[in-house]
Amino acid sequence: MNKTTYRIHETVVEDTHAFPREVAKFLAGEASPVAFRAVRVPMGIYEQRKSGTYMVRIRLAGGVCLPHQAKRVAELAEEFGNGIVHITTRQDMQLHDVLVQSTPVVLERLLEVGLSPRGGGGNTTRNVTACLLAGVCPDEAFDVTPYAITLTEHLLANRANFNLPRKFKTAFSGCGKDCALCSVADLGFFAHTREGVQGFSVYAGGGLGAHSALGIEIEKFIPAPAIFEVTEAVKRLFDQHGDRVNRHQARLRFVVERMGPDEFRRLYRQELAQVRREGISVPEIRVGENGAAPAGSMSADEPDDPGYRLWQARHVFPQKQAGLCAVRIPLSLGDIRARELSALAELAVVVGDGALRATQDQDLYLRGVPGASLYELYRALRESDERLIAIPSIRSVVCAGASTCKLGLCLSRGLAQAVEAELRGLDAAFDEPIRINGCPNSCGRHPIAPIGLQGGAVRTNGRLVPVYSIMVGGRAAEGNAALARFVAKVPAKAVPALLREFWIATATNRQDGETLDNLIDRWGADYLRTLAAKYAHVPSYEEAPEFYRDFGCDEDFSLAGRGPGECGAGVMDVIALDIDEAKTALAQNALYDAVVMTTRALLITRGLEPKKDREIFAAFSEHFITSRWVGPRAQLVLDAALDLRLGDRNTLEDLRDDIHALLSRVEELFRSLDSNLQFRVKPVELPAVQESAHSLRVAQELDLRGVVCPMNFVRAKIQLEQIETGQVLDVLLDDGEPVRNVPASLAQQGQEVLSVAREGGHFRVRVRKVE
Amino acid sequence: MSLRMEEIERYSRQIILKEVGGKGQEKLLASRVLIVGAGGLGSPASMYLAAAGVGTIGLIDGDIVDLTNLQRQIVHSTGDIGTPKVRSAAEKLRAINPAVQVHTYEERVTAGNILDIIKDYDFVIDGTDNFPAKFLINDACYFAGKPFSHAGILRFDGQLFTVLPGRSACYRCLFGGPPPANAVPSCAQAGVLGGVAGVIGSLQATETLKYLLGVGELLTDRMLVFDALGMHFREVGFRRNRRCPLCGEKPTITELRDEEQPVCDWRGTQV
Repeated sequence: MNKTTYRIHETVVEDTHAFPREVAKFLAGEASPVAFRAVRVPMGIYEQRKSGTYMVRIRLAGGVCLPHQAKRVAELAEEFGNGIVHITTRQDMQLHDVLVQSTPVVLERLLEVGLSPRGGGGNTTRNVTACLLAGVCPDEAFDVTPYAITLTEHLLANRANFNLPRKFKTAFSGCGKDCALCSVADLGFFAHTREGVQGFSVYAGGGLGAHSALGIEIEKFIPAPAIFEVTEAVKRLFDQHGDRVNRHQARLRFVVERMGPDEFRRLYRQELAQVRREGISVPEIRVGENGAAPAGSMSADEPDDPGYRLWQARHVFPQKQAGLCAVRIPLSLGDIRARELSALAELAVVVGDGALRATQDQDLYLRGVPGASLYELYRALRESDERLIAIPSIRSVVCAGASTCKLGLCLSRGLAQAVEAELRGLDAAFDEPIRINGCPNSCGRHPIAPIGLQGGAVRTNGRLVPVYSIMVGGRAAEGNAALARFVAKVPAKAVPALLREFWIATATNRQDGETLDNLIDRWGADYLRTLAAKYAHVPSYEEAPEFYRDFGCDEDFSLAGRGPGECGAGVMDVIALDIDEAKTALAQNALYDAVVMTTRALLITRGLEPKKDREIFAAFSEHFITSRWVGPRAQLVLDAALDLRLGDRNTLEDLRDDIHALLSRVEELFRSLDSNLQFRVKPVELPAVQESAHSLRVAQELDLRGVVCPMNFVRAKIQLEQIETGQVLDVLLDDGEPVRNVPASLAQQGQEVLSVAREGGHFRVRVRKVE
Repeated sequence: MSLRMEEIERYSRQIILKEVGGKGQEKLLASRVLIVGAGGLGSPASMYLAAAGVGTIGLIDGDIVDLTNLQRQIVHSTGDIGTPKVRSAAEKLRAINPAVQVHTYEERVTAGNILDIIKDYDFVIDGTDNFPAKFLINDACYFAGKPFSHAGILRFDGQLFTVLPGRSACYRCLFGGPPPANAVPSCAQAGVLGGVAGVIGSLQATETLKYLLGVGELLTDRMLVFDALGMHFREVGFRRNRRCPLCGEKPTITELRDEEQPVCDWRGTQV
């Protein structure tokens, strides 16, 4: 057995050794959370939703994990995490609930076994993935694992690869079936053998997210060693043309979209020529052995055990190496307890080829298992934990979701568990997993699945309801990939029942040899639309409050406090929905409704979700009118809207133009939102005349002559607290220390000092209350 | 309610703070804090809170001022020896700030009386000197949903953290129950430097003010550990314990009870 995985480059060692200092600076308050994040995320360490807890994403090139590495990860999960190791949809392993002060020792101890989370997050070259059966698959052209490993080493060695415009994902598929999902990678390599030469066709600019795209072909065939040049050329193109300002449009697919495929290919050719002129050192490809356990290491008796037969049928796959098998260890939600992971590591040595593979389906595989050892393996797994030999009715691939992910919208893991519970006991209709995603960002990769779910939110009866969009028809395959189409939206709480009906229908309708993909094609989207319609109803809050809550959550569903990030697309969706509804209402002359929706739309960006109209108006007034994000006439609109409820119909009619203007302004603000949910446009300038002393409503005058510092400041401050935000206070101050100190102190605490004017022996300071 | 000129002057140095202001001061004046134990921790804590204008302060302690207390319990004076601690302390607090309402309870906290007492307060300070009382306060505050500041001192060391019941880790999340008798220091081992009580009690007062004002980050899910000999502060992070017998997923403590005091005479070293 001679399994290999990536070697850690010296720069990664140096960066890891420098990391404890960064943590110390952060803990000592010398580095801001933002500054620390900039170091931490490219190190593969993300903050979880609960502040103070962190996730560490360990890269596994091609998903290969050696037994001593798996054991170390398991130890760290027990010692510093939550005792569970999570397998991601891109073949990483994740530790969760790690305290920030523990991260340096975690990194150090990973390094000891040749692992690192470097580049696990941020704008970096992420984990390089490979087919789950790479090296053993009967269909593959050749084993792509060594290429995934060597390219990883090559990418990790260059610090520039940790500061790209956005993340950069690379994948290797062993054939056109594309199990590694090269079709939707930033850079995807499909293995082919041409006239005896091993090489790849290359696709670039694919990616999943709120705006998914399939990669475009940039090379029909390159000999295998050329992958380094090609990668370098594509990366340079990305580096030059990627949008570093707007991270929502930064991925390579947006570069392709902006310049068009032909121009992209042309510039790529130029870059490639340049790279070739410069010359690039091509590393040696280290080919590991596809070993097998020593024959006869375990006994061969196979009693007539129905559980075993079922397991074998479902989870054992014959390898291209005669007599050897790959065995899937199904993991619910991609989670495995540390103890079981250690046990698997042992088994990989005893009955397998000496390595574990993490897969894109969030499972683990043991490979190189002699057929004669299968029953022993089955028994060993069963003894370790029954769940390792589970025969699931439905397999699911699930993103982390809103429980830990700071970007998530829906609790996707909760849904997956509810679905598993709902379908428990049913026969498995298909082996294809259902892909569940808590937001549009597609970590669960639903856009390339035959059937997938995408979390979101809609407003019903004035409240937010967690919903899932059903997407069908996605497919990864070289040259024949397709992105899933939206079919219908159903409330989250109706999804398990819907899937149960769907699953029973597939089990009973499926024809021999028909894949899920084919079956859904045959049925057409209408079948799913009709099915979804049955489950689309959202009962009133009084009738069924659980519809307004997500899975595993006792509180009403809320998006307040959700980060924008990429999944913030979900927050954006809800705002867009309000704006659309406001437009419709305006067009239908439902002015009051238009005002409610207009003023409600942006409140979520301020962490507010008031339910009552009166509260909406008050919040809008406080957060948008007084801070001048919208013009002062908006207040007239709000007042008129409230009057309308008191029976005065006319005033709102008279303000129709103002409502239009307000809606346009709200839409303008919405479009200018940046990744921190701040507006990039400037606040409204008030007409100069309003700034003049005549039209200012001076709420009060406070005579502080004869009052010494700091009492004069204290009293001015207290007086400001008594007046409304936006109102103006005149303060009379003595010359000297008072007039030098008080205006500056007021400004320091956020108030707006409009003027400081001498009036004989004293000063009049005009202050507008801002906070 | 608005501040009188005398109040504005009295509290001006904290009203100046952006995080306090007149609104914050009004909050403090309307707040009610219970201090359990008028000893080493309760002394500085109660004095700072009274000075800051916390409107109502409750003091509960069943002891009489003793000559040995005066080395660290700075709210009491030599002339107070022999008087109940709560009475002695109340006088001092009223002298510091006559506007503060001081309620005294001349008794010890027990499973029988504690819930009735804490129900009227917004925040509780644990200034007690023994494990049974600490667990009792923890449990009562959990059942009553009252946030509280836990602290303990011994020799040259002190520790404290804040508990928001049901939201952050509680005392039992860390320690489960009182330590076995042989793990508790004997009387001979247990002295304390007065200044340590001052440091930790002052931190409790500070934490209380932050809570009442709703500013800053509370000392929850982490314990601040003070080592006076090395002159270090250290922070120990932790989190809620799923298996906590009180606030965990399967609680075994569902009603208040008085724990046994596991040591002969702990009172010799009361804080």
